[in-house]
Amino acid sequence: MVSLNKNILRTILIASYIMIVALIISGVSALFSYLNTGADRSTMLHTEIKKVDQYAPKMDWEPLQNEGRPMDDQTLNAIQHDYLDAWYVKQIAYKSNKTAGIKDYYTDSARKNLFDFIDLNKAQGISIEATTLHHNPTLEYFSQDGQLAVITDRNVVEYKRVFKAKELILETTETSTYQMVFLLEDGFWRIRHLVKDKADIYNNEPQQIEVNSLNIKGINYYPQANPWNMFGDEFSAEIIATDFKIIKDAGLNSVRLFVQYEDFGKEHVDAKKIEKLKQTLDAAEANNLKVVLTLFDFFGDYSVMNWTLNQRHAEAVVNAVKDHNALLAWDIKNEPNLDFESRGKDNVIAWLDSMIDLVKSTDPMHPVTIGWSNTESASILKDKVDFISFHYYEDLESFDSAITTLKAEIPNKPLVLQEFGISSYSGFWKPFGSSDEDQANYHKKIQEQIAANKLQFMSWTLYDFTDVPTAVVGSRPWNRNTQKHFGFIDKNGTKKEAFQYISKQ
Amino acid sequence: MQIKHTYLLLLGLILLSSFTVIQETEVASTEIKLISTQTEFEVGQPVVLTFSTSSEVQIDLYCSNSYGSTVISSSLKNNTLEFSIPETITKKIGAINWTLLDDNKSLSGKLHILPKPEVAIMETYIGPPSIESGGKDFTTLVVIPTDSLDNPVPTHTLVIAKFQFLDSEEGFDIFTKNLIAYRNIYSKPESGRMLVSSESLGINSKEYTINVMPAIPTDFEISATRPHDYADGNQVTTFWTTIIKDEYNNVVSDGTFVTFFIKNGKGHILKTTGTTIDGVANSKIIHPDFADNWNIKAYVDGMSESNRISLSYKQVIKDFNVEFSEHNRLIEIGPLQSFMGQMIPDGMHIKLKIYRNNSLVNTLTKTSFNGYTSFKLKPAIYENGHYNFSIETAGLSKEFNSIKLW
Repeated sequence: MVSLNKNILRTILIASYIMIVALIISGVSALFSYLNTGADRSTMLHTEIKKVDQYAPKMDWEPLQNEGRPMDDQTLNAIQHDYLDAWYVKQIAYKSNKTAGIKDYYTDSARKNLFDFIDLNKAQGISIEATTLHHNPTLEYFSQDGQLAVITDRNVVEYKRVFKAKELILETTETSTYQMVFLLEDGFWRIRHLVKDKADIYNNEPQQIEVNSLNIKGINYYPQANPWNMFGDEFSAEIIATDFKIIKDAGLNSVRLFVQYEDFGKEHVDAKKIEKLKQTLDAAEANNLKVVLTLFDFFGDYSVMNWTLNQRHAEAVVNAVKDHNALLAWDIKNEPNLDFESRGKDNVIAWLDSMIDLVKSTDPMHPVTIGWSNTESASILKDKVDFISFHYYEDLESFDSAITTLKAEIPNKPLVLQEFGISSYSGFWKPFGSSDEDQANYHKKIQEQIAANKLQFMSWTLYDFTDVPTAVVGSRPWNRNTQKHFGFIDKNGTKKEAFQYISKQ
Repeated sequence: MQIKHTYLLLLGLILLSSFTVIQETEVASTEIKLISTQTEFEVGQPVVLTFSTSSEVQIDLYCSNSYGSTVISSSLKNNTLEFSIPETITKKIGAINWTLLDDNKSLSGKLHILPKPEVAIMETYIGPPSIESGGKDFTTLVVIPTDSLDNPVPTHTLVIAKFQFLDSEEGFDIFTKNLIAYRNIYSKPESGRMLVSSESLGINSKEYTINVMPAIPTDFEISATRPHDYADGNQVTTFWTTIIKDEYNNVVSDGTFVTFFIKNGKGHILKTTGTTIDGVANSKIIHPDFADNWNIKAYVDGMSESNRISLSYKQVIKDFNVEFSEHNRLIEIGPLQSFMGQMIPDGMHIKLKIYRNNSLVNTLTKTSFNGYTSFKLKPAIYENGHYNFSIETAGLSKEFNSIKLW
């Protein structure tokens, strides 16, 4: 008995000894391999050069009629590339009051002037956040040896935000004309002389578009199977066409669709997504529905430095579908007022303002709106948009008074109640939620109120969804489950009670 | 009780005074007017913007020029707001736009900093640095006269571009436009060095040099020199070009590459190359070792060519002896004798082809030494039996059939 116990003891001792040694060895080896990791040796060679677009304002070159040597496309591209980089590093330098990058794009004598400004601004705590939105360069002269070029850039639209002691003191948009001498040094087209010839305050009064005939009776649409991922791999033109028929048959005349910023490829818009979008618009046209297209969904970066990239995105999308018969209006952004707190109210509004200008200049035919999430924000930029859109998920009791207030603020533009609805979810996560009947009553009531207030409307939404991405309402189950039950048709395809009030016939 | 009242009074006073302070700032923003009328200044001059104001509040001014933007603080004296624009801005020409940063930002305007007709530096760019003679090719002189503050001078400032070439000296009046003044300089028929300088408002630039290179070569003649006309495989034939010139009679640049193509009697191409010095290129090639006729033509690749000449080489070795010994395994060849009966210089190629059953077994090549050479056929490689041999040298060939090796 004693020897057995001893043996057990021995076994345990030896086993624990082996375990400890194994642990120590694995620990040491983990440390050793950690210390051996480092940069991949191939990266030392800088063999891969990733070209990232950082700054892409609209460039409209005047036809080439320059003096001197005839210009070729490749050189012109190189000059344009370095010219835009010169603007970009300058914007970064004035924002941060640091000189990084300046020396690549300005010659020795020219960069001194920038450094002077940086010193001046740094000493007084001034920083300037700026971007340029539109350039109209003309090549004036290109030297015979291909080393010197003179360019006049007329009516450059410059947006600036001036900060002193981190406080915004001025927001301004200017148009300026610059004359520049470029020298090819070390493979860079560097700015040697820079002279601003003309400077004015930018005053763009966009054309208001006739909206008297606008009569939106519509619905926000996502397919039942792939909400918030409509143009993904599960895209099906047939399902969309069927749904559009249901919508048309229900007496509605329009749908609101969403173009997601990242999903559509950011500044390099994905042609496949555009193709799917066009198929969707074709389906709408076939069913005699009009489409309000909401841009910049799932987008939250309004930083001035990226405006040009955002604008290239919008420009590509707008250009792709602006001539489509089904298109009714552009909705610049869904509920931008929700970003006021995190991104700065004036920043967001300035972004919207310049984006409206861009969309209107790209497509002068279709009206533009912004889908505000409540009636309080709806009067922001009311003079820029062609009609006012707002969402209402609050108590119906205060609906009429909210509309009265809004109408007093904006007497002259159509009001579109662009999102409204109620979830019929009542279950574990929300025991006192609404029932299908409550939902039906809600739609019956609000339709009466819409009619009484002579509003146009787009309800939320056609289907109950089985899955709602966390990006939409967060990951809290009570929110996600609620969001799943806003539809007029449940997940089995059965029309819910509320369906009869989808439109007031 | 007394103390309590005092506190209340004090608190009340503090409250009241804070209200009055707020009121004062609210009233302030009105009635600011621009006093300054001058909107154009010469570069480098101090610029001061003055405003009349009814309040005592300091206001900032935003201003922006070619290179950047900044915010300027004011100095307030007798209801006058004074902004002195920093030197960073006034020393660069171009438009300045400003906005007064009061509450409604309603006051804004523009100033112009004008360039001054003064030159400190003649910024000169000239290129390409070498051009071709003949009047078709040109180089460009770009001049940016700049003042002491590194600003381009006003548009339409006179610049005199001066050129010296051979015995001509010329000056041209050019004017600045788009910040620069430029002139194309065309070459003359002659090649040589051209000196360039420029002058504006009494200031002269440095001297710049342009190389005017000869144009492309025209066709030329070739000749050959050789010590004798025997095909001894030892002496060297030299080819010469005449002086190669361009169409304007300029001798082509040294180093012009000339290729001599030689076509021999069998239609094979031999090639030798040379570069010109003072227009003449030469190139050497060793004589063939058998009688041959050469046709020679030279080219400057893609540009010009020569006439065609022909050379013939006489056979030097008339005949040679072959002796078999040591079971026919040692084959001795020689003497190989040149044109005067002298032993052929070392290095003449002799080729031995070995056949067995009418198929080639091996080819052995050796060079002559003192007019002789020998081949040794080892029994380990060449088994006993009957072989055919063929021996070739200097274009001659001898055959020996059914030689038995044992």
